[in-house]
Amino acid sequence: MAAQPHGLIATFENVSDLMHAAEKVRDAGYKFWDCITPFPVHGLDRAMGVKRSHVPRFSLAGGITGFCTGMSMIWFMNAFDYPLVVGGKPYFSPMFAFPVSYELTILFTAFATIGGMFIMNRLPMHYHPVLKYDKIHRGLDDLFFIVIESRDPRFNSAGTKSLLEKIGGKEITELEA
Amino acid sequence: MSSHAASAPAVLTADSHATAANKALLVGVAGIVVTLIGLFFSSGHVIAFSWLVGVSYWTALAIGMLLMVMIHHIFDASWSVVVRRQWEHGISAFIPLAVLFAPLVVLAWLPSTRDIVWPWMNPAHELHGHGTVGSDVLYIKKSGFLNRNMFTGMTLAFFAVWIWLSARLRKASFTQDTDGDIRWTRMNRVTSALGIPLTALALTFAAIYWIKSLEYHWFSTMYGVWFFANCIRGALCSTVLIMVWLYRRGDYNGVLNTNHFHSIGQLMLAFTIFWAYVTFSQYFLIWNANVPEETFWYNIREINADGSPNQWKYVGIIIILFGHFVVPFLYLLSYRNKIVQPRIRFIACWVLCVIFFDLCYNILPALKDDLGNAEPLFGINLLWTISAVVGVGGICVWSYLRSLPKEKLIPIRDPRIEESLTHHEQHAH
Amino acid sequence: MAHVAQSGAGTAPAILDEVKPAVLPRAVLVSNNRSFSWITEKICGIIEGRTPAWWWVAFCVALFVASFTVAGITYLVATGVGVWGHANPVNWAWDIVNFVFWIGIGHAGTLISAILCLLRQKWRTSINRAAEAMTIFAVVCAGIFPVFHVGRVWFAWYLFPIPTANGVWQNFRSPLEWDVFAVSTYGTVSVLFWYVGLIPDLAVLRDRFTVAGNRVKAFLYGLFAMGWRGSNRHWSNYEMAYLILAGVSTPLVLSVHTIVSFDFAVSLIPGWHTTIFPPYFVAGAIFSGFGMVLTLMLPLRSIYKLEDLITQYHIDCMCKITLATGTMVGYAYAMEFFIAWYGSNPYEGFTFINRAFGPYAWAYWIMITCNVITPQFFWFKKVRQNTTLVWVLSIFVNVGMWFERFVIIVTSLARDFLPSSWGYYSPSIVEIFTFFGTFGVFSVLFLLFIRFLPVMPMAELKAVTPQADPHANHEEFTGHGDPVVERGHA
Repeated sequence: MAAQPHGLIATFENVSDLMHAAEKVRDAGYKFWDCITPFPVHGLDRAMGVKRSHVPRFSLAGGITGFCTGMSMIWFMNAFDYPLVVGGKPYFSPMFAFPVSYELTILFTAFATIGGMFIMNRLPMHYHPVLKYDKIHRGLDDLFFIVIESRDPRFNSAGTKSLLEKIGGKEITELEA
Repeated sequence: MSSHAASAPAVLTADSHATAANKALLVGVAGIVVTLIGLFFSSGHVIAFSWLVGVSYWTALAIGMLLMVMIHHIFDASWSVVVRRQWEHGISAFIPLAVLFAPLVVLAWLPSTRDIVWPWMNPAHELHGHGTVGSDVLYIKKSGFLNRNMFTGMTLAFFAVWIWLSARLRKASFTQDTDGDIRWTRMNRVTSALGIPLTALALTFAAIYWIKSLEYHWFSTMYGVWFFANCIRGALCSTVLIMVWLYRRGDYNGVLNTNHFHSIGQLMLAFTIFWAYVTFSQYFLIWNANVPEETFWYNIREINADGSPNQWKYVGIIIILFGHFVVPFLYLLSYRNKIVQPRIRFIACWVLCVIFFDLCYNILPALKDDLGNAEPLFGINLLWTISAVVGVGGICVWSYLRSLPKEKLIPIRDPRIEESLTHHEQHAH
Repeated sequence: MAHVAQSGAGTAPAILDEVKPAVLPRAVLVSNNRSFSWITEKICGIIEGRTPAWWWVAFCVALFVASFTVAGITYLVATGVGVWGHANPVNWAWDIVNFVFWIGIGHAGTLISAILCLLRQKWRTSINRAAEAMTIFAVVCAGIFPVFHVGRVWFAWYLFPIPTANGVWQNFRSPLEWDVFAVSTYGTVSVLFWYVGLIPDLAVLRDRFTVAGNRVKAFLYGLFAMGWRGSNRHWSNYEMAYLILAGVSTPLVLSVHTIVSFDFAVSLIPGWHTTIFPPYFVAGAIFSGFGMVLTLMLPLRSIYKLEDLITQYHIDCMCKITLATGTMVGYAYAMEFFIAWYGSNPYEGFTFINRAFGPYAWAYWIMITCNVITPQFFWFKKVRQNTTLVWVLSIFVNVGMWFERFVIIVTSLARDFLPSSWGYYSPSIVEIFTFFGTFGVFSVLFLLFIRFLPVMPMAELKAVTPQADPHANHEEFTGHGDPVVERGHA
């Protein structure tokens, strides 16, 4: 009945232990692994070998879309579809079209950024094996975990466990899938 | 210290510093001479205006550096400690700048050249097609402010304020290198807290007197803020050039890291946006209300008396809108453009050039031709403007280079120096 | 102490050997060396504990006051906009004053969240969640006024670029139309920014309620926590998104109050048409917003015993920002006044004399006292350390800023170009109650917030404690030099 476990989880008590351990896991060549921390730890990305986030690309796309939407919408509405004569101002000018376009730029950038973040993080994911771990609430409180998933090619129940022990992990537990 | 010292450029000797300073002085003098030669080719007005552009440009940069020092102290900033010393050297230029500004004041006092720059200096100055300055009700109402005595006194006061603040900030910082006493930091904070409002008022009124009053019918409450934006942008860009130069020379090698460049790049981006905000607001509000008593100032810069677009319109759209905002903004959004030295140096040079054009845009159209249209920018006159900027600039750089070797490269006993040396990448929290 | 720098050539510059900083420790952001779990317990404790009696009392009072707004607005919609005191020539009065007032208050929240984040001011972490909440609730209160002042509210949807049966589109030359976009964007982005910040904390509450066995609450908090599990790969994207949102919220907050200022500045009315209005309004908004933050956070700090998280340093910083922005507002007053004289426009000049000595002089001098004089008290350390005094001064700041908007709007309209068009305006009872009721609306929302949501961002707070710093033991900074990129190949 023993299904393949999701992976192994190890506990660390402070930030510097975690950082050093993460460097070792990275250097050991694991790819499908993660750290669980209550707050973002400076430098952990580098220790884990995580590259710079791709979220800005979403933001840029959103921003450009927003700006173009604003300008073209205003041109269409006030100069093309129903030209409106107001106060001697031209039918369309980037001057008066600017405030609304600017706001739409920001609005679309915000949506794109958040959407991008969720997409890159594959959230919402209300169910995940890590959340079944009985001490997970400590991982969001005051402890730090390293999780190495079993689908990683280098994963090996005994070998990975001994690596985790060697780098200082405590209470190494199997996570059920 | 190290066996590698022979390969890396070593700490410079007093001689090489003196050579660099002398070179700058030479360039400065050459620039001034070329500008004076211009008197043979163009009118005195043109040369005087060119001189005004030159002095305003470098005064703006110096004011920007002064403000950066004071803002740094007020914020108890950490990353900028390693560059603050360069600003402190830069603000030594106020004294030569005061001297360089003097000719313009002197010209205002000489009977034959009273209105060579500012028309209101001479009540008999003829306005195009409508009488003299002295009979102009719009002048009479502000003659208590726009007169020679006030101008001279206020200009002296501006420079006095800036020189006094610079001297205090420099002395405190340099002395702290020797005794590491915390009271210098505290003194700097107090100086800065008082200095910022003083400098803000001084630069506002300087902009009003020196630049805005060239066309004294016009007014804008935003003008001081516009000038401030250019001051800071200029200071940031020149700082980048200094950082790259000193890094290449070896002094900053091992002191500056990527994050310092990133941080100053971020500030450059922020102030690009701020400048655009200020300039756009001023233009837009005047455009929208469409009141002739305000719009004429922009009209001079867009159309001729017969309604056809003039050269300044293209200067405004291409050089100023695109050059001063769109290009630097898009360029500085990228992380790599801020941290790769040649790239950030490029945009710093670019912005410094466009600040020059922005000042020209504000100052030079007051020079009119016989039809009452603004003299175009791209012509022989531009040569003298450039030489004036080079001339004044050479002197300012000379002042910086004379100050540089006298003190330590970085404020070695500043309480935040270690934070600055270990400046980490920006995180959200 | 020498530091080994990693430079390209491997040499340590000699200057580094001479570095010996004077000692001036930075203020500790979390006093008494609190641990991560203390922070969690403290903040979650407020939510997990029983509702205190004072909360019920405050809530009932707030609801009662909020009912004034509900009643006022119902009466307005049923009867007509005439129930307010507006009439020619003053067609904008309390409604727009209140709108600008509340939007301005909201700006401090975004400033604290976004701008202080970009400026790396770590002290923002104890107050930014409550300040962001304050922004959202302030925008709600602000939005009531432009929506209902249109008169026929059932046509308010005409403001949005939606096709109508008339075929005419919205007039994008109007600053009022820009306001629609600005305020909607501001409200939306503020909610999004606030929510994104909440996600990790909601996850903490989800897990705590799960452990405590409270399945309903665990479900509710968990639903909105989106499955957050503290993964560092997630934090990496999260931090980037947060930074971008901060980077985008900053120009947003500047633009929103700029567009609000455009409502006035794009016109021709003397006293309104001034180019400095945009940054002046923004500075004023931040000024009034910080006043409100102080008004809210100081009592909260005492009641919930949060002195270790909101330290004297935090209060100091807030007071100094209030002082700085108040000084900027003062600069703008001086500029307006000076240029009114310099520009020699007789109407502009008259407007300023009229403000100080005309029928609304009483409002003007209240404004000057509260906005120019009161913040100057914050120069003094003794004042900043006296929490009660700071709280009282913060109230004055808000009163002053309300009066500033009143003076700008009403005096310029009451006496503009033609004396035959002059008139005096007084608010009606309905207006007065509607406005004071919005404080009740705000309080209801804020009380609900502090009861059910974490009043401070736990994750951010933990991140600024000393034990969160991996280099806390001051190792040599190998590798953190992030060597300079000399050419394009790094």
